[in-house]
Amino acid sequence: MNHEYGRWPESVWTSQELDWKQAERIIAGVDVGTTSTQAVILRDGKLFGYASIRTGADFAGAGEKALKLAMGEIGMRREDIAAIGGTGFGKRNIGFADRLFDEVSCCMKGARYMFGPEVRTVVDMGGQTVKAIRLFDWDRVRDFMFNDKCATGEGRSLEALCELLHVDITEIGPKSLEAEKDPEPVSTTCWTFANTETLGLFGRPEFKSEKLSEAEIYASHLFAYSWRILGVIGRLSSLEVGEIRIDGGLGLTGGLAKNPGITKRIERDLGVEAMKSDIDPMLCGAIGAALLAC
Amino acid sequence: MDFTKRINDRHEYAKAWKARTGGKVLGYFEETFPEEIAYAAGILPVRILAEAKPDCLSDKWIYGACFPAKAMINQFLQGEYDYLDGLVNVEGCQWIFNAYEVITNNKPELFKHYLFSPDYTDSKTSKDVFRSELAIFRGLMEQLSGNKVTDEKLDEAIEIYNKNRFLLRRLCELRRADRPKIHGSEFMDLVLLDQVTDKAEMNEFLERFIEEVEDREPGPDRIRLMLIGSETWNSELERMCEKLGADVVIDELDNGTSYFWNTIYPQRDRLMAIALRYLNRPHNPVKDNNWRRRPEQIFELSEDYHVDGAIIAKQIYCHLHGTDNYMVWKLLRERNIPYHYFERDMFVPEEETELRLEAFLNMVRGGITRLAGWHKKAKI
Repeated sequence: MNHEYGRWPESVWTSQELDWKQAERIIAGVDVGTTSTQAVILRDGKLFGYASIRTGADFAGAGEKALKLAMGEIGMRREDIAAIGGTGFGKRNIGFADRLFDEVSCCMKGARYMFGPEVRTVVDMGGQTVKAIRLFDWDRVRDFMFNDKCATGEGRSLEALCELLHVDITEIGPKSLEAEKDPEPVSTTCWTFANTETLGLFGRPEFKSEKLSEAEIYASHLFAYSWRILGVIGRLSSLEVGEIRIDGGLGLTGGLAKNPGITKRIERDLGVEAMKSDIDPMLCGAIGAALLAC
Repeated sequence: MDFTKRINDRHEYAKAWKARTGGKVLGYFEETFPEEIAYAAGILPVRILAEAKPDCLSDKWIYGACFPAKAMINQFLQGEYDYLDGLVNVEGCQWIFNAYEVITNNKPELFKHYLFSPDYTDSKTSKDVFRSELAIFRGLMEQLSGNKVTDEKLDEAIEIYNKNRFLLRRLCELRRADRPKIHGSEFMDLVLLDQVTDKAEMNEFLERFIEEVEDREPGPDRIRLMLIGSETWNSELERMCEKLGADVVIDELDNGTSYFWNTIYPQRDRLMAIALRYLNRPHNPVKDNNWRRRPEQIFELSEDYHVDGAIIAKQIYCHLHGTDNYMVWKLLRERNIPYHYFERDMFVPEEETELRLEAFLNMVRGGITRLAGWHKKAKI
């Protein structure tokens, strides 16, 4: 009865194979975002542990909790970590961090770690911001763009939609891909209107020229997301007249990168396949913070 | 010197000026308003500065406009500008024109005039057209004030206004230094104050102020930024840059440097001299039709002031700057000037804006050898 449809699964993992006591250097990164908080532990450059939890209003507490979870119950103490980097909207609340870094630099560094040297454009699709970043050299930012008002295309709005529709946030993306063809997108500007419009498609299908299936309604909604995110990428892409083109490999990170209903549509409209990584895309910022701190 | 307080006290200042001189006070919106003619008639021209205040009135009249236009309507409907004797709008931004219409419909007691100014500023007929508009305007100013606007009066006004521009340009030159003695926020406040103060008084103040600034120690070595985009009515953004280790050393805003940049070249036909000054102002999105020379002008300023990067801050719903954006981005990118673009309204949301500026400044720092090692000392 109390199922929270918009609640994405929190995750915690600590390596059981590697012995942290044998490590030459352990570093950590904490990314306190508006919606989610991640902490990662890197043991000699390898991912050793992580936690991804919801932030809430207590930024300091969320950072503490995530780091504690990432350290696992293996006797590791904060003093065993050589350097801790902090980032994210709530970074100033991470009192235990040795250094703080801006989100764009962390995304750049984390994406290099996750996708390797081929990645040249990173699109970080978070809870309340979408950032598109162009990289050059090994660890330099050429240019970046953020989304501006209003809020369609952000993770938080998708959580709200799933609560409204009673559809699980992990299922809406795959279900939307069952549609043979994307219908027109719902509002690409205001997420409240986008959500209301989507509800309306369920409630009053007779106002549409043809009735849309459930999959098509989800497709219509997520098409609006990818449309809006492509707008941010477009501002960053080549400014020659014509289609949106991006340089080199594309890395998608952030919570929305886990939603194939959004990533597949971005890939389709950009005409490129996003690079793959075994690492959870939500960890990108925290990994970057750890690497920058060392 | 607390310029912010003086800007906030501008209504009291204008009321006191009126009581002291017995003259009329005329509000205007656009920087293309030929203040000299009003001043020559003994009228005090004051620019309407939009201020963010609780607003439940403007939506009824103008829904969906840019925030400054709505804020101006709100201020008038709240009675803040009741001391004004008249209001003039010069052909320019459509939102501001709509605000002017709403205000004058609600305040019929105000003297009102819509002054036509060609958008094609250097077509064959534009100077003659604008001169003839100025001749009509001179007659209206004589009627409003009861004073004759003679050539001698115009000469006096032109001299005072040219001196004011010269003094502001002199201050601006001090920002060209490697370590400027005056920061972007202070300068922006000063320019805003200039637009609501009697220029003769302002000139006296500026002369003293320049001496004071010249005696200051050079400021810290900071990232040098240029501010591009829609008009702003406060210096919040400049202050935020300073807090983060950067300084806005030059801007191209209509109510920033573009307000005072060029002077009037005297000629026998005073009205033509004034017309040419206003037609030849720095290019802005609304008066640059066909040619689109603004991006090149931005580049020249950025070179002159040795900027490391640019911030483009556009008022949300400002369609004029929205259209120009693409050309400005393209040129800055081609010339390797890093920039960051964002949209704002009357407020600068602190967390969100700081987050972006920090990232942008770190990006710029990465490319500056002059500041090598700077980031290691800085606590972000």
